Amino acid sequence: MIPGAFDYHAPASLEEALSLLSANVDDAKVLAGGQSLLPLMKLRLAKPEVIIDIGGLAELNYIREDGDHIAIGALATYTDLAESELILDRCPLLAQAAVVVGDVQVRNRGTVGGGLAHADPAEDLPAAVLALDAEIKAAGPDGERWIPASEFFITMLTTSLMPEELLTEIRVPARDGYKSSYQKASRQAAGFAIVGVATCLKESADGTCEDIAIGVTGVGDVAYRAEQVEAALRGRKLDDSAIAGAAALVTGGVDPIEDVNATPTYRAHLARVYVERTIQAARAE
Amino acid sequence: MAKADPNQYVGLAARSKEGPRLVTGKGRYTDDFTEPGMLQAVFLRSPHAHARILGVDAQAALSRPDVFAVVTPEDIKRDTKPFRPGRYAAGLKKPIAEYAGAVDKVRYVGEPVGAVAARDRSTAEDVLESIAVDYEILPANTDVHKAMAGEDASLIYDELGANLAWQGTLEYGDTEKAFREADRVVREDLKIHRYSSTPLEPLACIASYDRFSRKLTVRTNTQVPENIYDALRDALRIDDIRVIIPDIGGGFGQKIHLIRKYVVIVALLAIKSGRPVKWIEDRNEHMMAAGHACEQHFDVEAAVKNDGTVDGLRFKEIDDVGGSISTLTIHFTNKLNNLSNTYKVQNIRADGYSVVTNRCPVIPNRGIGKPGMCYIWERIIDRVAQDLDMDPSEVRFKNLVQPEQMPYTTPNGNIYDSGDYPGLLKRALEKVDYPALKEEQAREREKGRYLGVGVVIGVEPGGRNAARDMAIFPEMKETPGSGGINGATIKLEKNGTIALYLGSPNCGQAHETTTAQVAAGILGVSPDVISTTTPFDSDVAPWGVAAANSGNNFHLYDIGSIIGAATQLREKVLKVAGHILDAEPADLEIADGVVTVPGFPRRKLTFAELGKAAYNNQSLLPEGIDAGLQTTFYYTFPHAQPNMVPGQDRRVRAQFTFGAGAHVAIVEVDPRTGKVEVLRYLIVGDNGTIINPGVVDGQIYGSAAHGIAVALGEGFVYDDEGQLLTITLTDYGKCSTAETPNVEVEHAPSPSKFTPLGQKAAGEGAAIPSPAAIASAVENALEPFGVKIRHLPLTPERVWQLIQEAQA
Repeated sequence: MIPGAFDYHAPASLEEALSLLSANVDDAKVLAGGQSLLPLMKLRLAKPEVIIDIGGLAELNYIREDGDHIAIGALATYTDLAESELILDRCPLLAQAAVVVGDVQVRNRGTVGGGLAHADPAEDLPAAVLALDAEIKAAGPDGERWIPASEFFITMLTTSLMPEELLTEIRVPARDGYKSSYQKASRQAAGFAIVGVATCLKESADGTCEDIAIGVTGVGDVAYRAEQVEAALRGRKLDDSAIAGAAALVTGGVDPIEDVNATPTYRAHLARVYVERTIQAARAE
Repeated sequence: MAKADPNQYVGLAARSKEGPRLVTGKGRYTDDFTEPGMLQAVFLRSPHAHARILGVDAQAALSRPDVFAVVTPEDIKRDTKPFRPGRYAAGLKKPIAEYAGAVDKVRYVGEPVGAVAARDRSTAEDVLESIAVDYEILPANTDVHKAMAGEDASLIYDELGANLAWQGTLEYGDTEKAFREADRVVREDLKIHRYSSTPLEPLACIASYDRFSRKLTVRTNTQVPENIYDALRDALRIDDIRVIIPDIGGGFGQKIHLIRKYVVIVALLAIKSGRPVKWIEDRNEHMMAAGHACEQHFDVEAAVKNDGTVDGLRFKEIDDVGGSISTLTIHFTNKLNNLSNTYKVQNIRADGYSVVTNRCPVIPNRGIGKPGMCYIWERIIDRVAQDLDMDPSEVRFKNLVQPEQMPYTTPNGNIYDSGDYPGLLKRALEKVDYPALKEEQAREREKGRYLGVGVVIGVEPGGRNAARDMAIFPEMKETPGSGGINGATIKLEKNGTIALYLGSPNCGQAHETTTAQVAAGILGVSPDVISTTTPFDSDVAPWGVAAANSGNNFHLYDIGSIIGAATQLREKVLKVAGHILDAEPADLEIADGVVTVPGFPRRKLTFAELGKAAYNNQSLLPEGIDAGLQTTFYYTFPHAQPNMVPGQDRRVRAQFTFGAGAHVAIVEVDPRTGKVEVLRYLIVGDNGTIINPGVVDGQIYGSAAHGIAVALGEGFVYDDEGQLLTITLTDYGKCSTAETPNVEVEHAPSPSKFTPLGQKAAGEGAAIPSPAAIASAVENALEPFGVKIRHLPLTPERVWQLIQEAQA
């Protein structure tokens, strides 16, 4: 359980990090909190020759209001997210998802940017990021670009970040009048999501669904938006039968994965139950 | 002679001696030790479940200057001998040579194929990747039912001709008659899966060999020094062996059996390299290859009278013993320990089948076959109750051994020393207010909430008889041992303190605290001045066949030997003091480490003064007495007869003391997700006289938590090709503290009639009935759906499937 040999760099600035990354584009892995990368390296499932440790870049560690958005630096930890007054006030869904990631130690060390860039299909945060229509900032040798969350996650452990790009910020539109819930099924309290559902919705006084966004993680090989469920509910009265009927669409077009924790059939069933439960929980908020 | 009061500190929750050290990170585990010039070893392991080894090329590894020794299958064959078949492999028709590492073939994923000793661990891991093994992959065998049907995919041991490696029958009473005369026969198929206790500290070893004196010293975290001692002698033909056992980070049976393979190979690396070699196992290695509790399939039948009396029990047991023959029958023979559980049934027949598979070999795990035996009884009793439309507790009361029958001899020859089983069950039902609970359950069901209550009872055998396994092998020529023997040494030091040396290692069960309490009462000192020496060291420890952190042995053999040694030391103290004080030893009293002559307040000697006399001042010693104040006592259980060694009737005392516990589990099942939440867990237990209630409660909490987690989903999962899918604790599905209920314990002791303090065992106890309690509670919760619980584990998905199947 000792990683193979690697060269280690701790750049002092984002600029230096980017040039190191460009110089080692085929061999390098970026290390932030290390909660996903280090276990893979210890099992020698990942054997990078170069490690670029960006953990010391204070310029990437922030959570702040930025116009009509909330901006989160890539190095903010899950604990930062879960405890931030700003997040709790303006987009609590992020905090609801962050507070159930791993255990206390993982949340204290693991970073938002690292978790998203790693794109583990059972990671909690992608569901929330998708539901919130977040955008992800990628910095590269040719400057910066914004990637919508819906275009960020490609497949298992793969994102649309280019090898020479670094994820530097997540930007979430601050919306008023929305209610939200994140719930997950996992083997243990600190376990990965077998199914995780992030729901935020806006309903009128008579219970009509004005808007709804549902992010689903753990089910397919990548987190996704349950667009069929959303479409079935938008503009509808949110009664039990409408919710149940719509929830059945959660795995439409998705192949649920099979692993030691759940069969595809059970995963699909759980996804449906958790869609129903997060909608009910959000409404009761 | 002044009367000793051994009970002075018995029953007190004395402050833990080792606890502060262990919980502040000051424990000294194998990995904390370093020796000059020490190398680090890692193992090369099989990636295949079943394959022939065609060749191993380790040239690249050997040519590196920082690699000091490599062991390949060739080396194993050339430089070591096979282990002698132990007591669990004695039934093989043809003896099979089992070496410490794979030779010719690999039979499970993770089986050690070779090892490397290098300057440091990362070098060793790097080098491992350069060793090329040429395998011819063979079809994997993972299904015991196929083996039973004669449909082996391939032969795991060519010598056996089939993967069904052993079968045998134990019969007591007349089961045929019982079934012939029964009003009805209740039948069920049951299964317990593969699991482990996943101790926080995996296997560990440091070996060093002095080629001048030809002495081999190993520091390792084995629970049983004898296994290491014998294995090294068998495999390496070395007689002068020293086994040192420092603090152990949890044992539970995981560190009894397969650890010997690794110690032998690490010792071989040390011999080859001429340097001390350390090996620390990784978590995923531990999960793959350190041993699993056996997957056991049971086909159970009970012969029942219409009033609920169970007159006979028959069961067929198929054990998936994995890719080794060395523990072939261990889970079956352990059924002898609690074969009739708490019940007075006289006719029992067990047909055992041991099937080798391409999975990890099985090893003892907390209770070994006993949770399975209790599961058989408690599930079938529930089924009898359903069949007769009786309350399950009513059927239990009908069949329990009664307190006035104690000591009670079971059909297979166990002698239950004491116990009030109806009393335990009655108290448990009272504590949860069973009638009110059933009403609440009915009310909640109306609202769509599914609560379930499981009430079970089980014995907790303690103190192992080393001759037990001869019951299934009456043809065995050489007794592997019999009864139990273990010792303790106590020494009064020159400063008046007491040093205590145990014959057994300690896996964190607070032996230091408990033994000091017992010795203090006898010697007339405070437990504070008694220290128990760690580590265990076979060169000086008074150890025998029962020197094992296993078999629930501590309460019987260690406490017995401490009482013996302390009593002898007290007698010697009084003789020496009587001589110096010019008084009759019988007239003296001891309190707080001071010997006094009653009525003469100035005629007294402190233990420190006595110590100085005994070691420094020959002129003060009485004639005819050895100098020094040190005694060693080897304890044997004085009531081991009858049935210590089985005869042709196969009756044997499998263990010597019998505690018991009634368990109540109250669960809620979410029928939409299948998730089970344990709302309440209560144990009313008989652990005999309790020496330290804090220590005993800790044992009960831990063993209950494990049994509950086993039932609710922790376990090993293999695919059809024999690849283990659960190599991390995340996938393994252990309950964390968040899922573990608060375990309530009430003590209702019936002191043992056979032990000096009335003490009984406490180590395995709650792990034995708890899987059955959870199964019973979940079944009860899902009664409206018609769900029957037969197979463990009850993962949420499995429970959900059972509901779907019942509704289909």
